[in-house]
Amino acid sequence: MALAHDAPIAHHDEHESTGISNTKLGMWIFLSSEFLFFGALITNYLLYGNGDFAGTVPREVYDIPFTSVSSFVLLMSSLTMVLAHHALSVNDQAGTKTWLLATALLGAVFLGGQVFEFTEFIVEKDMTLTTNPASSAFFMLTGFHGAHVAIGVLMLLSLFNIARRQGGLSEHSGMNLELVGLYWHFVDIIWIVIFTLVYLLSAV
Amino acid sequence: MTATSARPTTSIYVRPHPKTGIWSWITTVDHKRIGILYGYSAFVFFIFGGIEALLLRIQLSAPNNEFLTAAEYNALFTTHGLTMVFLFVMPVTAGFMNYLLPLMIGARDVAFPRMNALSYWIWLAGAIFTYSVIFFADVTPPIGVEGFAGSLDPSDQTFLGGLPDGGWFLYQPNAGPYFSPGTAIDFGALGLQILGIASLISAVNFLTTIFNMRAKGMRLLRMPVFVWMTMVVAFLLLFSLPIIAVALFMVTFDRSFGATFFQAVSGGDPILWQHLFWLFGHPEVYILILPSMGIVSEVLPVFSKKPLFGYAAVVFAGAGIAFLGFGVWAHHMFASGITPVAQAAFGLSTMTIAIPTGIKIFNWVFTMWGGRIRFTTPMLFAIGFVSMFVIGGLSGVTHSIVPSDWQQTDTYYIVAHFHYVLFGGAIFGIFAGLYYWFPKLTGRVMSEKLGKLHFWVQFIGFNLTFAPMHWLGLQGMVRRTWKYAPENNFGPWNLAVSVGAFIIAFSILIFMFNWMYSKRKGRPSGLDPWDARTIEWSIPNPTPEYNFAIPPVIHSLDEFWHMKYTEDEEGRAVRRPDADDVIARLEHDGNNPKSPIHLPNPSYFPFIMAVGLPLIAFGIIYHLSAAGKALIVVGATITIGALLGWGMEPLEEPHEAHHDDHADHAGAEDEDASHHEEVD
Amino acid sequence: MATEAHAHPTTRQYVQVAILLAVLTAVEVALFYIDESLDLRGWDGPLLIILSTMKFVIVVGWFMHLRFEKGLLSRFFSAGFALAMGLYAVVLAALGVLIIRG
Repeated sequence: MALAHDAPIAHHDEHESTGISNTKLGMWIFLSSEFLFFGALITNYLLYGNGDFAGTVPREVYDIPFTSVSSFVLLMSSLTMVLAHHALSVNDQAGTKTWLLATALLGAVFLGGQVFEFTEFIVEKDMTLTTNPASSAFFMLTGFHGAHVAIGVLMLLSLFNIARRQGGLSEHSGMNLELVGLYWHFVDIIWIVIFTLVYLLSAV
Repeated sequence: MTATSARPTTSIYVRPHPKTGIWSWITTVDHKRIGILYGYSAFVFFIFGGIEALLLRIQLSAPNNEFLTAAEYNALFTTHGLTMVFLFVMPVTAGFMNYLLPLMIGARDVAFPRMNALSYWIWLAGAIFTYSVIFFADVTPPIGVEGFAGSLDPSDQTFLGGLPDGGWFLYQPNAGPYFSPGTAIDFGALGLQILGIASLISAVNFLTTIFNMRAKGMRLLRMPVFVWMTMVVAFLLLFSLPIIAVALFMVTFDRSFGATFFQAVSGGDPILWQHLFWLFGHPEVYILILPSMGIVSEVLPVFSKKPLFGYAAVVFAGAGIAFLGFGVWAHHMFASGITPVAQAAFGLSTMTIAIPTGIKIFNWVFTMWGGRIRFTTPMLFAIGFVSMFVIGGLSGVTHSIVPSDWQQTDTYYIVAHFHYVLFGGAIFGIFAGLYYWFPKLTGRVMSEKLGKLHFWVQFIGFNLTFAPMHWLGLQGMVRRTWKYAPENNFGPWNLAVSVGAFIIAFSILIFMFNWMYSKRKGRPSGLDPWDARTIEWSIPNPTPEYNFAIPPVIHSLDEFWHMKYTEDEEGRAVRRPDADDVIARLEHDGNNPKSPIHLPNPSYFPFIMAVGLPLIAFGIIYHLSAAGKALIVVGATITIGALLGWGMEPLEEPHEAHHDDHADHAGAEDEDASHHEEVD
Repeated sequence: MATEAHAHPTTRQYVQVAILLAVLTAVEVALFYIDESLDLRGWDGPLLIILSTMKFVIVVGWFMHLRFEKGLLSRFFSAGFALAMGLYAVVLAALGVLIIRG
């Protein structure tokens, strides 16, 4: 019976009234609030993104092929994440480490792509955070998403580090892996929405 | 499904375990201590907010008064609002929820004790950061404003002129970079951002606790109403805070980084700010009132010696209020130029909230009807809540009629409404709770004489202050304005209002004296001073550190009541012959656990992590300078470092595993009592 | 994590899901480019939304495991999603971006 992280322990009889561990329940509750967070940013973009403003607007500068590859990379990182979780569940510690690292690397590649894309917009296309409300909305949305990815990569790397130092992940750390996985997939599904609403529908 | 047992065997981190002194408070993860910290801290800010109000009322006590400058007046009503909402009512209700939630569901602590501590320290960091504006704000006056009534000479402005002055709602573009240059608004916006993080963490914690840590037999529909209201408030926080977080990021980006989300001159839309703010702001007012509704739902039955009338209806009405509360936000924008369709829709939705609210009011009244009422101080405040809230609710319903609202907007009629519901409602409810649960904290009862004096002085002062605002507003007195002309003859009633405000202040002094006095000299309460109904009263007072010596098993609603009473053929409550023995046994067993009890270990990291956030906020404000950039890096490093340390902290110290609480318990009780004195 | 006794998908199934996601993405990108020649008459927008919704549901249901979890988690998740959709749709309508016909 998994002991919930940090729960008070009385005579080692731990019961969770719902049958779901505290940390897992807590993470799902937190993720459901993130819809309101990203929803506001997306609404902001939908309001301004396709408007007519002075200066370069985002829909003029999108590089769909490049962003498609980025999106594919992030999607595949969800696969490697779930493979890491699966490996741990069958006690394949080596596999866990490999897939954790792979996920972090794919996440870093995605971030690298974002940085490259942003740099091009700022330096060559003359579209910065402050150019007009549309560009502000674009950078806010994708910037906060990128920040979430970066935090995810940090968490993945620290899990990898713990696994490497301890020779594997314990049951306690295994729960952390599942939580990081949930967070990671969530960040991926937000990108699924962003890719469609922001990039692909820009030409509609 | 076994993994290798690869727990860290050596750790550079040792969990602290101080029992006494300031370190025991800084590292505490005990929900009761965290509740006490919230309560005392919030009260300090209540005093600040009250002083701000008194200064406003001195200025308004006569027409064309010059006690304050316009700039100072604007700053004071802004900080009064921010303080009372975010630094008093929210943290004090958080204090109640923290202290009581585990006790009411039969748990030993919340789901995530360290995160619970983190919420408090982040809240405190945000509160101190916001008020630090006094020392740091530059006093650049607004630019490009013709006929600005105050002085444009910086040397004429006292430090008060440097406080945030855009109203607590920070409407754009007035509170934006062009019309409010300087840094005062940034302290408000970033301070709110930090405070929001604290509440969001609490919400996740409380929801997990309520869903997962109920005692055996404590089905959802057997939980006390206060727990249900805690759950509903947590849902409101969970879903409304992210919206204001985005809005505050946008305003910070507008002010600090040159974005143009809300600046009309660049194509931004100021109305977007209003939507985003009130999408949060309206659920926020239900966050403010629902805990007090929960408190009153606990107090009224006890002092009517009757069960709550229509428990399920009260619970579902509370949930209904919260759900509908997400659908009414634009009623704050009826005069902002939204379309007629929007006005009609939101007017209608606002009216529907009266239905679940009315259900609760009727049920409270029916609870009292036919009961054997004891007019103790908590009961007086609870009855005060019901009556004052009805008045505030009635004026609220008049706002839902759009053309009527156009006349009321920006007048004192609105000020009257929200003070009746927030002071007459939320704050009266808070006092009911403070008097009612005081024995749980201290093992003593507050003085009834002083309590009744406090109640009546406050009741008179409150009504004298806010009732005249109804007709002053309908006569056309405008709010958020530093002075009024003599021609309208508002002077006499404004003077009465100001006198009332000072009477309120006097009543609070009575309360403070009662609290301090009763902590030391109050009559000992015993286990069950009120003949109460719910299980937080089935354990000794003051509450033992481990809460329940044996986790309780629940068989019904009002479990504690049924331990003491049965029913006769007519359904009337009859005290069991062995009730006193039951209470004596509960007291004895509650103080003497038969086997060792593990409690979560204290931790440094929540405190350390919280320290990083205001540093980041300072850095953002001063980001153009090297010092600012450095502060961002330092703050982020501290926060992330503390998070990593937290993650690697061992869950429990091996040598603590069989700490025998039995022998220590008597000592711990004395320590708890002495802590309360130390906090004073 | 290790304690719930339910069927985990196998590695093979996870890879199959990933391939499906990749295919859906490819279709989306293709739609972006070829909508003119296919004369979809404005259908490409809704189609893109349908495709991304499918990807969304697949990642949540299989990778996040929600299909195999207790219903309480789905209810929380859906509540946040539904509330966000509802509230922001109203805001967009009020600001004139989302036009509600009739």
